[in-house]
Amino acid sequence: MTDKVYYKVGRRPWEVKGHPDGHASRQRSRIPFTNRHWLKWRDVHNPKTLQRERVLVDKKPLWWSIGLSLLLVITPFLPNSLISVASIFCIYAAINILWTLIVGTAGIFSLATLAVVGMSGYIAAAANVYLGVPWPFMLLIGPAVGLAAGAILAAPSTRLDGLYYALLTMGVAEICRVFVSQLRALTPTGGAITQVDSFIPEDWFLQRPGLLLGFGGAFLLLLGALLVWRLVNSERLGMILRAAKTSREDEAFSEAVGIDFRRARLLVFLISSAALGVVGAFYAMYYRSISPTIFSLDQLLLLFAMMVIGGLGRAEGAVVGAAIVILIDKGLIELGPLRIILVAAIMLLVTIFAREGFTGSRDQFRDFRKRKAGERRAHRTEKGGEAMPEEATEILDKQELYYRRFNKRLRERLKLMVTPELIEEHRVNPLGHHSDALARILNYFRRGEMADKYVIMRLKNGEERFRIMAVSGIKGMPPRIVDDREYDALYDAYHAVFLLRINDLLES
Amino acid sequence: MPEILEITQLSAGYGPLRVLHEIDLTIKSGERIGLVGLNGHGKSTLVRAITHMTGWQQGSIKLDGIEIGGSRSLGAGRRTPSLVKKGIGVAPQGDAIFPGLSVRKHLECGAYTKQAWKHRKTRIDRVFDIFPPLRSLEHSLVGKLSGGERRMVSIGRMLMTEAKLYLVDEPSLGLAPKISHRVMEALWALPVEGAMIIAEQNVKLLSDRADRIIGMHAGRLRGDVGHVELT
Amino acid sequence: MDLGLIIYALNLAAIYSLMAIGISILWSSVGMINMAHGATFAVSGYAAWLATAAMKPIIATTFGNGALASFVMAGTLTSASLVAGALCGAIIYALAFLPIHDKPNYPVRSLIITLALNIGTVQGLLWFFGPRSQGLPKIFGFGRWEVWGTKIRYDQAGTIIGATIIMALTLAWLRYSRRGLEVRAMMQNAEGAAYSGISRQVTALPVLMLTGALAGMAAALLSQTIFVSPTSGVIPLLKGLTIALLGGLGSVPGAVIGALLIGFLEAIIGAVPFLGQRYVMFGTFIFIICVLIIRPRGIGGLLDDTRE
Repeated sequence: MTDKVYYKVGRRPWEVKGHPDGHASRQRSRIPFTNRHWLKWRDVHNPKTLQRERVLVDKKPLWWSIGLSLLLVITPFLPNSLISVASIFCIYAAINILWTLIVGTAGIFSLATLAVVGMSGYIAAAANVYLGVPWPFMLLIGPAVGLAAGAILAAPSTRLDGLYYALLTMGVAEICRVFVSQLRALTPTGGAITQVDSFIPEDWFLQRPGLLLGFGGAFLLLLGALLVWRLVNSERLGMILRAAKTSREDEAFSEAVGIDFRRARLLVFLISSAALGVVGAFYAMYYRSISPTIFSLDQLLLLFAMMVIGGLGRAEGAVVGAAIVILIDKGLIELGPLRIILVAAIMLLVTIFAREGFTGSRDQFRDFRKRKAGERRAHRTEKGGEAMPEEATEILDKQELYYRRFNKRLRERLKLMVTPELIEEHRVNPLGHHSDALARILNYFRRGEMADKYVIMRLKNGEERFRIMAVSGIKGMPPRIVDDREYDALYDAYHAVFLLRINDLLES
Repeated sequence: MPEILEITQLSAGYGPLRVLHEIDLTIKSGERIGLVGLNGHGKSTLVRAITHMTGWQQGSIKLDGIEIGGSRSLGAGRRTPSLVKKGIGVAPQGDAIFPGLSVRKHLECGAYTKQAWKHRKTRIDRVFDIFPPLRSLEHSLVGKLSGGERRMVSIGRMLMTEAKLYLVDEPSLGLAPKISHRVMEALWALPVEGAMIIAEQNVKLLSDRADRIIGMHAGRLRGDVGHVELT
Repeated sequence: MDLGLIIYALNLAAIYSLMAIGISILWSSVGMINMAHGATFAVSGYAAWLATAAMKPIIATTFGNGALASFVMAGTLTSASLVAGALCGAIIYALAFLPIHDKPNYPVRSLIITLALNIGTVQGLLWFFGPRSQGLPKIFGFGRWEVWGTKIRYDQAGTIIGATIIMALTLAWLRYSRRGLEVRAMMQNAEGAAYSGISRQVTALPVLMLTGALAGMAAALLSQTIFVSPTSGVIPLLKGLTIALLGGLGSVPGAVIGALLIGFLEAIIGAVPFLGQRYVMFGTFIFIICVLIIRPRGIGGLLDDTRE
């Protein structure tokens, strides 16, 4: 006998699944100092094999750690120019993640992100150069400035509509640029502050060890931004905002049940502004200088392109978008202005075809598939199924759908067989030898469901008086009496039940 | 009598939700049909499905023998303008008026289709004859009018085209009883060459005058009620 | 305030209002924030430059050097920029409106697409023509008028008059024509418009072409004062957007009033000795932010309130 290959049930036979022992207690390690688990394993029940399976519900942590560790491992072996590309990628990805917090989580469409980064970078750098503050303190001055800038920027966000606010914040960067380039003290350098002290020793600057150190710092920055994202987006604040996010009605609803989403929104804005301040200080240190180009519209648009290409409002989108755009912008530098055109073209195509950027395309495809499946199912139900399309998506056991469909077709066939002669045949001989058609119909009746199945009740022991009842189908619930007719002969009652069932069949 | 509207097995809904379930309805030329049902039982959805304003639909709708439904909707409202040009006049629920246009401009909007645009002057006069209060308001902004006047403007806009089928959705919604009676009287007094469907919650306003009254319950038509004598 | 300043302010206001009205009409009727307006502006400027450069020898040979020649030149310049602007509008229609106009999240997505178009076009122009600015022929000629002791340059006067005529034509078109009625109906109630037989897809094309042509006209007029360069669209775009916001998006009179306000504000800030030209942008932004914080729906909102 040859061994048959049995595939695992489900659409993904390659997926790793655990087969837990149902009796053993479950052991899971937790993240230290929290009551969270490292990975989201869930026990599910496989309806076909009737076994318990342990599946990894959320695979994102795996992808994140694979991607980040690849970046960390590969970068030291790259040539110098690519190391700086990797560092710039880390910085921009960090900015993008924090921006995503503002746009996606808080739902404030602010375009002043780079302005906040620039402001805090400038003030931190100025403190270092002109006041002689040592560099570690820049990382404290930065967030303080960011917080202050965030507070000022957040004030109008409660009053203004999304679009108005977005276009106004675009102006903030312009104001900053004009202001900085008008400063008398900075005129000789064209508005830039140079000679900023840094965590990279001066004689290592632009050398390989310095670049690697810079990359290390930038990588830590990215990790920090991801941590902020995780803490804000997936904890209490993020939950509150998610409740209020989808529509105006949800906002009203959350307000009515006492969720103060406005406060949460402002808090998220302030937190991410402070974090952007850290990025600003780091930016000034990484380049050892800061110039007004950080406020320019082109930079902002490039950053926006990253978010859009990756997917607005998702952390992975921010990182993937940053990777794509930085690779094109800094990696293909010999292309000249063409590379910006390339970025614009990608942005255009992604927006036309994808609802939420590259990282959202998976969900979009799933939605599309689901919709198509629903359409097909609706088509089938039109042809003779039982379940409504919207109901069908909710029935977990798809066998049930086919069972209903089969039943419906069977009923359609049986309905055609019901004739007065057939009923007469049953009346004459309810139990005895039946014709083929009657036998088929009775067979169908026999395997009907318990709920509302007709039964005959003898009214008193020893007397020939019967009534018809319908079983409730629920344990403990008594049957109900169908009508108040009494039958004097058992055969009459049999026939009455038959007629009731025929009636039900014809009505269905 | 020719059949103006022939709906067979029409299902329609929004997103995954199915609101109408396999509706069959035939309307002959010259008929005025009352569609009665409680809030949320699919009256407006039927009107919107006929005009392709729902998210999706299946089944067939024939207007004067020409198939206008059937295919899956391409997106709400995308085919509505072409249907209006084919001869459906709609006075939607909640009026859908243009608050910044004057009454006259508003009515001209109703005569937007090419054939109607030529006769818009005589048609506006006709609407003013049907709703005399509008004549004095000709140049005032619609946004400033009262609810009853807005309803008249909305119905008047519907009457500007030479439609085969008029759909009136909730003509008495939000109006004082007296005014809603007046609006309904005007509707009954119209000379209708085609057919008319009036979706209405208040059966009293429809009885005696409608040719047929059809009940609607949970997305299904509940038989022709015929003339209902309400006590 | 002297007359020269007023003329300068009106000159600015004329160009800004051409841009702002286009953005405002587009937002309220098609529901799109057109970030590619700046690109349209720049492309029209280059189209005018190319057309006039190509036509110059032909015009010189056929019409000589007189007033007729300069008139034909002016016609070539404006028609080239108008046509280019309208074509840009058609391209925006095909890319940013038609594929997504009934998809979810349409306003944000169309904004992003037009933004991408803007970036791409500006970089494309930069790549093709280089960063050098190009001067266009002066259609109004050189010279000044003397009015009450003040000298008014021809190009300033021409710009003001030209923009006013164009705007009047646009407003009249919106007010009296059948297409205009259609646009206004769609601006006010899209569903009602659909029930009247007005199709969004059909109407959007002329609206986009019209607003593109308005941007082209602004480019033709502004090219009399400044040079044409790939990035010359950025400032008009920003100004147009902020003025449209100040006017309350969607309100045409609001946009005109906003443009007048900003024009005068800029002229005054530029003329005040200790502020000067450098702080013009700064001052206007602060002004707009203040106005919007006090009246979140801008001047248009104020007009609506007083009407009621």
